[in-house]
Amino acid sequence: MSFDISKYREMFLEEAAELFDSADNILLEAEANGDLTDDEMNQLFRDVHTLKGSGASVELSYFAELTHDVENLMDKLRNHQITYIPQMAETLIDALDIMKEVLDSEVSGDITRESFTEQTTSILTDIREFIDGKVPAHLQADTPAKETSSVENTIQEDLVVEDEVHDDFGFFDDDLNNQIDSTPVYGIFADDDIDNSNEDEHRAYGFYDDELENLIDSDVHNANIDDSQENFGFFDDMMPMTPEVASEEPESNNAEDTKEVQTTTNAEPVATKTEQATQNAVPKASSNNQASNTTPPKARPTRAVKEEKKTSSTNNNIRVNLDKIDLLMNNVGDLVITNAMLTQFSSTIEETKTRNSVLERLELLERHIRDMQDSIMSIRMVPMESIYSKFPKVVRDISKKLTKKVEFKHYGDAVEIDKAMIEGLTDPLMHIIRNSLDHGIELPEVRKQNGKSETGSITISAEQANGQMIITIEDDGKGIDGEKVALKALDLGQIDENQYNSMTNDDKAMLVFGAGVSTADQITDISGRGVGMDVVRTNIQKLGGIIRLNTEIGQGTVITIMLPLTLAILDGLDIKVGANKYILPLSSIVESLQPSADMIKKIGDGSQDLLMLREEFIPVVRLHQLFGIEKSFEKLEDGMLIVVKSGNTKVALSIDEFLNQHQVVVKPLDKNFRSVEGIGAATVRGDGSIGLILDVVGIINAQINLEKIISDAKKAS
Amino acid sequence: MAKLLIVDDSTMLRDMLNYALNEGGYTDVTEAIDGVDGLAKAKAASYDLIITDVNMPNMDGLTLITELRKLPAYSKKPILVLTTERSDEMKTKGKAAGATGWIVKPFVPDQLLKAVNIVLSR
Repeated sequence: MSFDISKYREMFLEEAAELFDSADNILLEAEANGDLTDDEMNQLFRDVHTLKGSGASVELSYFAELTHDVENLMDKLRNHQITYIPQMAETLIDALDIMKEVLDSEVSGDITRESFTEQTTSILTDIREFIDGKVPAHLQADTPAKETSSVENTIQEDLVVEDEVHDDFGFFDDDLNNQIDSTPVYGIFADDDIDNSNEDEHRAYGFYDDELENLIDSDVHNANIDDSQENFGFFDDMMPMTPEVASEEPESNNAEDTKEVQTTTNAEPVATKTEQATQNAVPKASSNNQASNTTPPKARPTRAVKEEKKTSSTNNNIRVNLDKIDLLMNNVGDLVITNAMLTQFSSTIEETKTRNSVLERLELLERHIRDMQDSIMSIRMVPMESIYSKFPKVVRDISKKLTKKVEFKHYGDAVEIDKAMIEGLTDPLMHIIRNSLDHGIELPEVRKQNGKSETGSITISAEQANGQMIITIEDDGKGIDGEKVALKALDLGQIDENQYNSMTNDDKAMLVFGAGVSTADQITDISGRGVGMDVVRTNIQKLGGIIRLNTEIGQGTVITIMLPLTLAILDGLDIKVGANKYILPLSSIVESLQPSADMIKKIGDGSQDLLMLREEFIPVVRLHQLFGIEKSFEKLEDGMLIVVKSGNTKVALSIDEFLNQHQVVVKPLDKNFRSVEGIGAATVRGDGSIGLILDVVGIINAQINLEKIISDAKKAS
Repeated sequence: MAKLLIVDDSTMLRDMLNYALNEGGYTDVTEAIDGVDGLAKAKAASYDLIITDVNMPNMDGLTLITELRKLPAYSKKPILVLTTERSDEMKTKGKAAGATGWIVKPFVPDQLLKAVNIVLSR
């Protein structure tokens, strides 16, 4: 019998990402406060130990080989055979980084003995010196070597530490390869011969009992009890088929399909960091893995079913492909629609009594469907922790590189967010943090001169409020010079002088989110090309979110990101434009009103209307015009205006009237049709017709472009 | 049908063990995620064989074995330890805790099954 190792490798990569996170975080803390408690050492050892054991189990021998030495150091530490010194933290953090690199290259099949040696020689030298109770010369700067009180004699018993250790990698290879190969050699392992059994070294198992030991050599087939004897010898053919197995789709090997969401039925935020694992999930390694080739193809489907059953019995968690949840969500969406159709039809029943009682029951059904929708939504939610977990390491690495001192804090780890958003959110947040580190936080000397503490701080927090997800990233750096940004934007023609004159410093600073705008005098490899912040805004907008920025020169910057809680459903308002109906996301609506003639001002040649609302001028967008629909009224005051907002920009949409408000299941338009300016997505209405959902950001951008074209035309004439 | 309990903190290894055991005809397999979970599950039902990892959070495998041996129901039942160490030290510790035998991790499915068949056939 053999395993389909590649399948387990994927699981391992997920698990490894969590273990790396755990170990990294312990070491980052240790580095920060110069100490490592016994509990932390034990945890570290366990993390690395599991990495080694599991890595070896999925035949990642290079990875296991390197990890073995790291584990050795941790083992000595936890047994107090050597004393922890602060220099170790950095070496161990580097070691984990190299372990990750080796893992990546081994999984992608991109590793040779030479490349492995090159990658690991220097770190292994350091680690082995630490194991020997020495401090590597290049790390000795501020701590005298004698602080590493070591218990030399206990170290010597270990199989790895030898004199020629630093030059001879071959020794380690042999040693570890023996373990990995697990050559099945049998031998007697009786009560008294624990100490001198050579064969023992290569045995895969053994017993502490003579009687059992003797059975190893005897004919195992005969010694077996009936049912196991029956099964013995044809494991590969024996497929305990169940009906579900037969209908189960073969597991796809596509890395995209391995997006998983972890369902946690106990509130415990265990192991929800599947995101990193997904990113690490390299294309299937089956091509470079012989073991998987020998697996009978039908072995796979069985696994999928069994896996779910089993795991749920242990820790109440199951791993489910995100696509399956999307499908479920879609099914419920269809149910909502069918229910609406039924309601619509039932309201035409003439006999009052029957009609009312049918409608009453349909209402009940609707409530149940809503509950179901909520339950499915909650499956998609994962804690923010899964995003946060990446940041401490990045902050540490970058601040080190920039010789800045930064304390990174995060709040709202348990706040839940739609799994589908994580992908789109991680990069923008990472970028904002990088920017804060690079341009926000000053060098320690500068901070001191300005009367600030030498250590800067970056804080990220998440909370849910008013049906929105609010994420803030705050730093106490030098702030953004709005003036400088605005002048650059003016230069690039992104704003005109009128706009420039009417902007507050925050408005001006917001312009860093425009393409090509960066105040960095020097371009570094961390940030400063003015590309990133533009992408940040675009990505956030794609998620239906908005960004706000508040900054004070010398004091720091606060960036606030507001996001819808989910991308799958939204509360919409039906609006009528001419003969057409559209859906407007409720979250973007500020207010609606029937304007009076004196509230409307004309500017330019009279083609552009402005709504004057409480001392504020808001440009009016005639949706008829935008979508090329026949006008049903001429004067704006004959229709309705709905003021919508995105970021700091407001526009008033001119419509015929607004109808009812309801929840809609969002279906992407570009996947099913093509993208259309001003339309964000589509949905299926109660009567089965397609409803188009307006994209407020797109409409505002279209309006801004239109204004620009008009003003350019004016300038030209 | 023999009832088996496997105790390991790694989901992947539990899965591999479970798969190997299933394929070997042992379909009544319960999983526990650490020593504490393992002890609770062992108390709640009667298992014919327990296979446990050594290094686990909350309660390690050796402590689990010591605790299990104190229970009348498990004083004689076979318990195998999974260990990455081939060192005699680990084997001595396993024996001292009361284990029936050891299986080296990473395990070869056939070897695992042979070991399991042997202890269960007694």
